Formats: sequence, C-alpha cells, structure tokens
Amino acid sequence: MENLNYKEEIEKATSENILENLRIKYLGRKGIINKLFEEIKTLPKEKRREKGQKINEIKKEITSLIERKKYELKKTQKEEFFDETLPGKLYKKGSLHPLTYVIEEIVNIFQKIGFIRVSYPEVEWEYFSFEALNMPKGHPARDDFETFFIEAKEHQKFGKMILSPHTSSGQNREMQRVKPPIRMINIAKTYRPNWDTTHTPMFHQFEGLCIDKNINITHLKGTIDYFVKEFFGKERTIRLRPAHFQFTEPSFEIDVSCGICLGKGKIDGKKCRVCKSGWLELAGAGMVHPNVLKMGGINPTVYTGWAFGFGPERCMMMREEMKIDDIRILYNGDIRFLEQF
Amino acid sequence: MNIKITYHWLLDFLETDASPFELQKYLSLAGPSIEKVENIGNDYVFDIEIISNRIDTASAFGVAQEAAAILPFFGKKAKLKFNPFEEYKFLKIIKEEREDNYKLKILIKEDNLCSRFSAIILDNVKIGPSPSFIQERLKAAGIKVINNVVDISNYLMLTLGQPTHIFDFDKISNSDGKSATMIMRQSKKGEKIITLDEKEVKLPGEDIVIEDGKERLIDLCGIMGGLNSCVSNNTKRIILFVQTYNKQKIRKTVMTTGVRTLAATYFEKGLDEERVEATLVFGIYLLKQYASAKIASELYDIYPHPYQKKKVITTFSFFQKIMGVDIPKKIIIKILNSLGFETKVYGKKLEVCVPHFRKYDINIAEDLVEEVARVYGYNNLPNNFSPPAQVFQPEEFEKIFKVSSKIKYFLKHLGLSEVINYSMISKKMIDQWGLKEKNHLKIKNSISKEIEYLRISLLPSLYKNIKDNEGKKEILKFFEIAKVYLPRENDLPKEEYRLGIAVNTDFFDLKGIFEALLLELNIQSFPFPKIVKKDNVFLVEIPLLLLIEKAKLLPKFRPINPFATIKLDKTFELKKDFAFEKIKEKAFQSPYLDKIEVLALFRNKLTLRFYYSAKDRNLTEEEAKKELNKIDF
Repeated sequence: MENLNYKEEIEKATSENILENLRIKYLGRKGIINKLFEEIKTLPKEKRREKGQKINEIKKEITSLIERKKYELKKTQKEEFFDETLPGKLYKKGSLHPLTYVIEEIVNIFQKIGFIRVSYPEVEWEYFSFEALNMPKGHPARDDFETFFIEAKEHQKFGKMILSPHTSSGQNREMQRVKPPIRMINIAKTYRPNWDTTHTPMFHQFEGLCIDKNINITHLKGTIDYFVKEFFGKERTIRLRPAHFQFTEPSFEIDVSCGICLGKGKIDGKKCRVCKSGWLELAGAGMVHPNVLKMGGINPTVYTGWAFGFGPERCMMMREEMKIDDIRILYNGDIRFLEQF
Repeated sequence: MNIKITYHWLLDFLETDASPFELQKYLSLAGPSIEKVENIGNDYVFDIEIISNRIDTASAFGVAQEAAAILPFFGKKAKLKFNPFEEYKFLKIIKEEREDNYKLKILIKEDNLCSRFSAIILDNVKIGPSPSFIQERLKAAGIKVINNVVDISNYLMLTLGQPTHIFDFDKISNSDGKSATMIMRQSKKGEKIITLDEKEVKLPGEDIVIEDGKERLIDLCGIMGGLNSCVSNNTKRIILFVQTYNKQKIRKTVMTTGVRTLAATYFEKGLDEERVEATLVFGIYLLKQYASAKIASELYDIYPHPYQKKKVITTFSFFQKIMGVDIPKKIIIKILNSLGFETKVYGKKLEVCVPHFRKYDINIAEDLVEEVARVYGYNNLPNNFSPPAQVFQPEEFEKIFKVSSKIKYFLKHLGLSEVINYSMISKKMIDQWGLKEKNHLKIKNSISKEIEYLRISLLPSLYKNIKDNEGKKEILKFFEIAKVYLPRENDLPKEEYRLGIAVNTDFFDLKGIFEALLLELNIQSFPFPKIVKKDNVFLVEIPLLLLIEKAKLLPKFRPINPFATIKLDKTFELKKDFAFEKIKEKAFQSPYLDKIEVLALFRNKLTLRFYYSAKDRNLTEEEAKKELNKIDF
C-alpha cells in the first residue's frame, strides 16, 4: 500500500482526461482503493479497523488532490478569447416626455408637505378665469390677444367659453369644492395665442394655493424656499420682488439664485451669461386677494391665503441639463428629441 | 414694460449717497426692478422693468420718488431734491409774459375719450439741435434724436412719465391763420391716417382721433401724430399737447392696428391726470429755453372730473396679520409717509390718504400692506412652513394620476415613446380621419390653421406623429395620455382622459403591447378595443377611466399547484368559423386547462401548446389527451 504512486501521478497530470482516468484507476468501482478494502477481509479482525481507517484517509487524500489539480488545470487552461468589453444584450428603451418627469417631481415635493393635486377644466367659462380672479371686464388679459375664445353660446352667468390662459381658474373651483383648510396644487395645460421660440400656444402651469386661518407672507416664502431647495438644490436661495397681479395682494415675483454663478452675477470677473445679475425669474405669487376669497365663498376677515403660479417648462429649462433654445421642440413630437428622455 | 434712464438724470431729482449698483440692488428688491446697469461715458444707464400697475414709476422722477422712500431702509441716504408736482404749476405760466395772439377751437365729442385735455400754442420757435444733455440722455434711453422740439417732447415723457405731442400750428390752422380747430372724436371704421413714420394706418373704428375741422385726421391720439401736422425744420409755431386718454381704447387701437409706440405703452396703462399740469409747464420751460419759444395763446385745460382725495382706513394689527411679524407703528407710518401717503392715527386705527399718483393702484388695506412690506424688505421676513392641515385628495384625481404614471412607465419600458401633442388640431386632420367638423369645438381667434379645433380623439395627432417621423427612425411607437374635449349642449365640453397608442410595426405588436399593459394593471378581463389601421400605422385609443376602474394594485393570488403539468402541442387549420378565439373558448371548457401558448403560425396552420393539470392529483397524459381531443370540430 505504501508504494502507491498517486501523488506523483496526479501531480503530473496535464489534462482533465488524464485526471479522470486516474480517478477511475484509484476511486472507480474496480479501482485500487476498493481492491484494498476487499483485501481487508483477509486480515485478522483486530487489524481490520486500523487498516480500514488508513485506506479511508488515502481515499480522502486522493479525492482532494484530484479536485485541487482539476482547479489548477482549469486556471491554467488556455481558453478562447472572451471580449468582456463588448456591450451587453440590447434592451429596448422607450422614453417619457421630459415634462412628465418634471411634473412628477413637483408633485412629490408638494405631497411631502401635505398638498394634494387636483385637476380642473381646461375649457372654462370667462367667469372662473377672470371675474372670480378679480379681473373685471375690460382687463387687458381678457382680450382676444391674450386668450383663446371658443365659438359657443355664451353662458348667462359665466360669460364666454375660453381656453383657460392659466391654472388660477382652479382657485375658485377648489374653493367651491371644499372649505378651508385648502392645500392644493394644480398642474394643467393652459393656452394663450403666442407661438414663437419662447412661447407655445399650449403650455403647462403649476398653481399652488393655501387657505387657512392665520396664513401670512412668511408661509408663502417658506413654502417656495422649500420647493426651490428640493427641486434645484440646497444651495439655491430665493428673493421676492414687488409685482402686480389682479388676484393677489401683496404680489411678488419670485427669483431663484442662479445655479451657474451662484447668485453672484459674475464668473471670474465676467458677467454671467445665464442670469440677470445673479437671479432668474421663477414665478409669480402673492397673498390671495380678498375679492378672490369672497367670490369663492370664503370670509376674508377670517381666512387668508397664498397662491403661486409657475411654469413647469421654465422650471425644467432652468435646470442645468435642459438648455433648450426653441421651446417649440417640446410639442412637435420629434422622435429625435423625445427618445433622449 | 421697460424704460431706460441714467443715473445722473435720476440725480436731477434725488440726493443720495447710493452708487448706481446699490440703487440696482435695493430698488430691485423693494420697487421697480433694475435689470441692467451699463456704464457709458461718465454716466450709467439703468434698464428698468416697470411693474404693470405702477406706471407712475416709469420716469426719472418716478424712480426718484421710489428711491427716496426705499434707500433709507437699506442704510443709504436719500431724499427728493425737487418735486415737479409742486414746482411746475399752471399758476406760474399764467403770470408769465405772454401774447395771446392765437387760438384753439376745441371740441371733444364724447365724454369717455379723454380725462384731461391741455394744450398751449407757442410762437417764435427756432428748430435746431437739442442741447447735448438731452441728446445724450435720449440716446442712452434708446430714443432717436431728431431736433430740439421733438427731443423735448420725448424728454418730457421719460423725465415726468407723461407723453406729449407737438403739432405744427401752421399746418393745421384755419384760413385766418390765427386759429386751429381740433375735434376729438372716435374714428369711423376704414378711415385712414398717414402717421409720422409715413405709414398709412387703416383704422378699425372707435379709435380716438383728432380732426382739424376740414375732415382731415391729424392725430391718432396716444399712439402717433399725423404726418400732415408734424414738426419740420421750417416750423415756426407749435401746439404743445398734453392729454390723458381712455386706456382701454388706446390698448384696443394698438392691438388691432399693430402700431405700438412708447407713448401708447404709457397711455394704455392709465395715467394720473394730475401729472399733465407739471408736464405742460416743464415743457413750456424747456421749449422757451432750448427753442426760443414764446407763449402765444391762453392755456387750455379741460379737466371735467378733478382728483378727489381718496382714503383707506385700516388697523395696525392688520399689517402683522398679513406680514406675519410685528412691525412697529412708527415704521409703518414712516414707510407710508416716505411714499407720499398722509397718515392719521386714531388709536389702533390708521387713516391713510392716497397721493394722486397712486390713486389707481391703491384701493384697499392689502394694498397698503404691500407698500409697507416691500419697503420693510421681503427678505427681512422669515421663512415658515404653512401650518399642517388634514386635506384629502378626491379619489378620482388620485386614481387618475397614480394609474397614468404606472401606465407611462410601463409603456416606456416596453420601448414606446411618450408624446405630448397640442390639444388643438387642424381642419385637414379632421378631414383625413373622416371626422365631422361640427363635432369639434372651434377656436374663434386662432392664430394658425394648425390649431383651430379641440380634438375629440388622440388618433389624428398620433398618426401625424408617426408620419412626421418617418425617415428619422425605422421603428416608431408612440403613446399619449391626454384629455379630449367632447362638446355638450349649453355646457362646457366633457374633458375625458384617453390613452392612445400608435405603432408602425404590425397588428400583433400593438395587440401585444395592450395585452401586456392589461397584465401590468392586473386587469383580468377587458373588452378589447378596436385596433385601427391607417396606411402602415396601427392605432388604438381608449378612455383612461376604463383602465382605471379595472386596474388593481395586486392580482388575485392563486395557490401554487404541486401536481404535474402535462404539456401537449397540437396544430390546427384556421378557418373563418374556426379562429383562435373559438379554439380557446372550446379548450377552456376543460376544467384541467391552465393556459394556452401560441408556438407557431405558418400560413393558416396554427400550432398551440396546452398546459393541463389537476388541483388534487397528478393528471395522466391520457387524461390530458382526452381533454385536448375534445377541441376538434
């Protein structure tokens, strides 16, 4: 038994075939090990146990040596060239309109602070788009050049049928639907008769409305500051500038600090090309005008509120990755644009 | 509206230690926004955005008034040097040396055209270049320099915020040479006037015009003067003409004729009638000084409804309620006073008298809060979250947004591209689809034939998407989720969300996409919508609500069957009355059938694989075959 040469034989093996033959030679049914076990029977009983253990050890050793040699052979085996740098299997990638992502992001940001998204008519009566927003007849926004009118019979109470030029018409609708507290956002298609590189006759607006007891300017500021930090980044800040809108008083224009020059207006001593002296116009906002509350059936001596209106397109284009020089590309359905998103 | 004035122009009225850039920074936060500051020569040009209801700030003096109120709150010294409203009074003109040799015969035909009409005739005018400071300032403001008389007219507008017009008296005088007739009236539709820029304007009607009594139009009021009455190099006598007009009429004329001038932009905002007096007087001074003019008529001033003092009453606590912070009484009063408001305190109450130049934009207590808050500084107010409140999203909205989002992402991952099309389509698209024009809402004032009708189906747009993109990409698959607008009698249209899909591949591709979507939404059974084929395009459209109603968050759980499944293949010959649907119907009559798969289709030979199992034991192959054989006809 001591003269078994398995160590050397296994060591010298140069292929898996040779190893397999060695396995059969030693460990096969008619192999050497089994023969040795057979031989045990011829030994006296007291020696059988000792001998048996020894053979078992050799069996384990051979098994282990063969497995190890197999592993070594595999390692050194020369395989065909496998190019790992080739691309993976191609999976079809579709696309969503970039505004879909932007709107989803906006909704998520406001949902976290308890605002609900609603939806109101795009084809509206003048009353909801104007009268209810403190814009009486004769206001410039109401004329043919700012609003699309529909060929339809006038409503006795609500006036002409129009395509809503803003989402603010949802303010009165929301006040009719529920009484305060109101925390709503309304993102919808809106329409105005302009069509050039910076205007499309259909675009989106995003309206926020908060009405409750004791709502003041600091709440509006805080909410918009939160949105800006979530949407554009923690380092961005806002500023409020005086403005005029019929349906808010006081009214502001909201600017966000420029992400390129970080609000300085200059980069390396040169004027920032992106912004106006460090700031970008973002939205119009203000405290809901008492007449608007009244027309919504809400007592302005008890309740106050704030409202804002943004353009999701503008929000999108203010992000670093979306520098679009002709806004019409958003709605002309060109696959070369759409498939990028 | 933007105007340009210079730093030194502003300093004619304002005494301050603020630099041009400090002015920009502080005024932008609390008053008119100075969008740009540009250094030219020894002066600086401000490009200023005028807030739409603050036309009173659209001048050097107007900005100076704002600056005098705002700058001290930013630690800068500032006060008004000179107030033209107090200095330039008609009274002074009346006292001056004058010869009333000439006359105006003025007739204003209707009440609502002109709230204040003032004019004076000046003689001995010498036309020449205007002084260099006027030339430089006008150039900085982006206004063409012409001659002393015209330049002074423009200079008045940007200095005091009130446009003026100057006529050549002799060009419109009556045969006596001593008088001129001015009839202010509304234009008749189709009347024509050749304006200063030598263009003929055909009037839409109801525009404010002036006729010279000889049926000749000499002024398209508030917008541009007539060529027939304009100042030229030979002009000797002029009429200095300062008016305030009905703002709606001016705007309508601008929008319908397309003739827009800076003057019109002022008038359409509605001007303060009190400004007319100072402007006319300052104009006479400038014309005397720089065009050697002499007063040659009485002063005409038709002002039927003079300014009445206007009061707003509020409480001090109201400022805190809206601003959210406690503002000391004396700060509130200081701000209001510095903006020209007179204040009286009655305990907790505050009575505020509105200055004439703010009479159109200050009406209620909230307007006063805005004045105090902006000068106090919005940036000095803290940022707070709105207090939390329990609000519930209507289930209908919630489902629409949730399911739409799920559908969008799923279709995207299947390789489709989302598109957002205009809600409006062309007549051509309606015709192409055999739809009826009268079933669509039509836009009365559309700006293009492409967008005249509100769509009642998404398919024409999606079809167009495929056609427009042919040649750009081989395989095209689009979807859109959007509203269609279904007209209703005497009501707003029904706005219905739809899902539309269009592909240029084949029928079964589209059918497969839709079936996969149903699976994704865990919809068990669904009446399959009709797939439309137009040329090489396959399309489908359904109301989103149908999917929303049936969509489930989780599918119904089925216990895993531990018993064997027998798979059997069989080939059928398809015929009209023996289509797949029929085979399927028959096959599922077996209680053991789990599912059917299509293996191959060759001509009309269809090979199917059937999966049979029992829920309580292992089914034998013989039993399964028996089930399968039942399908034969």
